[in-house]
Amino acid sequence: MTATAPSTRSRPRALTFGNVWLSVALVAILFIYPFVFGKAMNFGISTLLFAGFAMSWNILGGWAGQTSLGHAALLGIGAYSMTLLATPERLPPFLTSPLAPWWGALIGMVIAVAVAAVWGWLTFRLQGSYFALSSIAVALVIRLVVINSNWTGGAEGLFMPDLPKFFGFDLFDRETEYWLAFGFVVLTLVITHLIRRSRMGYALQAVREDEDGARALGIDPARMKLLAFMLSAALMALGGSLYALYLQAFEPHTILELPLSIQIALLAIIGGRTTIQGPLVGALVLSIFGEVFRNVFSNANLLIYGVLILLVTLFAPQGIMGLFNRAGSKLGTAR
Amino acid sequence: MDQVAVTAFFQTLVQGLLTGGLYALIGTGLSLIFGVMRVINFAHGDFLAIGMFITLLLFKTFNIDPYLSLLVAAPLGFGLGYFIQRFVLSRLGDRLSEGSMLATLGLGLIISNSLLLGFGAQPQSINVPYAINTFKFAGVQVSVSLLIAGLGTVLAISALNLVLYRTELGRAIRATAQNPLGAELQGVKTSNIQAIVFGVGVSFAAIAGVLLMPLLYTFPTVGENYVTKAFIVTVLGGLGNLPGAIAGGLVLGVIESLGAFYVSNNYRDAYGLIAFLLVLLLRPEGLFGKTVKRV
Repeated sequence: MTATAPSTRSRPRALTFGNVWLSVALVAILFIYPFVFGKAMNFGISTLLFAGFAMSWNILGGWAGQTSLGHAALLGIGAYSMTLLATPERLPPFLTSPLAPWWGALIGMVIAVAVAAVWGWLTFRLQGSYFALSSIAVALVIRLVVINSNWTGGAEGLFMPDLPKFFGFDLFDRETEYWLAFGFVVLTLVITHLIRRSRMGYALQAVREDEDGARALGIDPARMKLLAFMLSAALMALGGSLYALYLQAFEPHTILELPLSIQIALLAIIGGRTTIQGPLVGALVLSIFGEVFRNVFSNANLLIYGVLILLVTLFAPQGIMGLFNRAGSKLGTAR
Repeated sequence: MDQVAVTAFFQTLVQGLLTGGLYALIGTGLSLIFGVMRVINFAHGDFLAIGMFITLLLFKTFNIDPYLSLLVAAPLGFGLGYFIQRFVLSRLGDRLSEGSMLATLGLGLIISNSLLLGFGAQPQSINVPYAINTFKFAGVQVSVSLLIAGLGTVLAISALNLVLYRTELGRAIRATAQNPLGAELQGVKTSNIQAIVFGVGVSFAAIAGVLLMPLLYTFPTVGENYVTKAFIVTVLGGLGNLPGAIAGGLVLGVIESLGAFYVSNNYRDAYGLIAFLLVLLLRPEGLFGKTVKRV
């Protein structure tokens, strides 16, 4: 994460892809997808969800520059909250009748924000790789608690019970789920755009580039990082409830594991963590790769992630979007 | 206290110390790499997995005794580490701290998923008759393979100490750890030294893998468990602090086995993690020593 040289910033209107139109184009593609590939809904939904996870991760990981390798825990909080609150027999003293999934999702978001607040308050004094290490530890502790508690379904996990209709839509219908996931991605994208040009966005980037410098400008780095983490956690939990809907049954080994956290972080970093659409592009590219090579690699699909992150780290530290932007700015200056 | 309780306590303690020795071996490799290069090796557990799978492969195809595969695994680990530092990590330049994390994460994924492709996901183990033997010493039962593992750990760490403090190479390594530029100016080829150090670190992980193989099942993602153990050990002892890593390993082993015995076995992995978080937050320099004594 090196500071952008001032010369590139003052360059006259280079053709960069970091603008609103690229987002509109990407959203348009996602909008058209179900009309063209109506049969491959599962692929579409999981791609969208992971794109949304990566976008949510990037609010903390990209804009605040704090590499978390524990975000699966927040996703899990969303998934577990919604499912548990819809299954009252698991929470006898607190709950007598099932709670509608949208309220469950909302409560999940609130819990995730609270967890993130404590988590961040504890560990944001750690910098760089140390923060990453601590995030692994916190997430693993959360996972152990879930595995060893009865009311969470333990190591066996949970089944999604019957759910009421959502404004007349069946929540288990793949098409409904696609549009919910689509809404989730659009939400994360819009929020990222808003952050980018907001006071908070500039403060976050200042903290990312130089924490002491930011402090000298009157920015409270701890507070900014905490805000970013809480926002990131809320979105992550929302996505987690949608993921639970999509999976219908899940267990701690699929939803709270370290590889999932790593996968989410790598999607964003491979796509380009310093750009707005990077995580989305990363998720699209890696999902397509994964689909193409599915028969070759089957369950070893993270191999591609490993190879790509190695290539990105060595040759394109700004990720795929960084490559585009570099090409774009060359085009722009050539004109 | 009655006799049974005392014996049980010592049994748990010895078990913890022996397991802790292995953790120390894994942690020493990680800590050495960090001490010299400021790189946290996220693939450390996967290098351990490589050691386990080499042992498995040699045993299954040529029926080679698991401990003999040390002769293959240790040099191979060294070569792999040397190569990775020389051709991957050294290219990162000023992006080292963030870049090395991502690069080693990537290498780890490549290793574990390649193992998955090559060996399948099902857990595998090897069967050596003498390894499951146990013997009794003053009422405390010890498994033979765990004792061999403890012995191997002591040997490996002593050898490392000998090299670090008694040879010219060790002096060069220590100089590189203290001040790479200064070392370079004194005629130390630091790029070579760093590659050697990474090689030794990886080799230690592979050795630990070999020593673990007669004790445990292995599967391609086994490294995940051990990389967190390695992080815990090194942070407990202070990152880059070698005696600290040894002590950290023993402490972790004892915490785990006492916690599992007296509190709850289900949370076995949690005790170390919580100790890790506490130390990271309250004493980032590690449990031992006021200042970080590097390598």
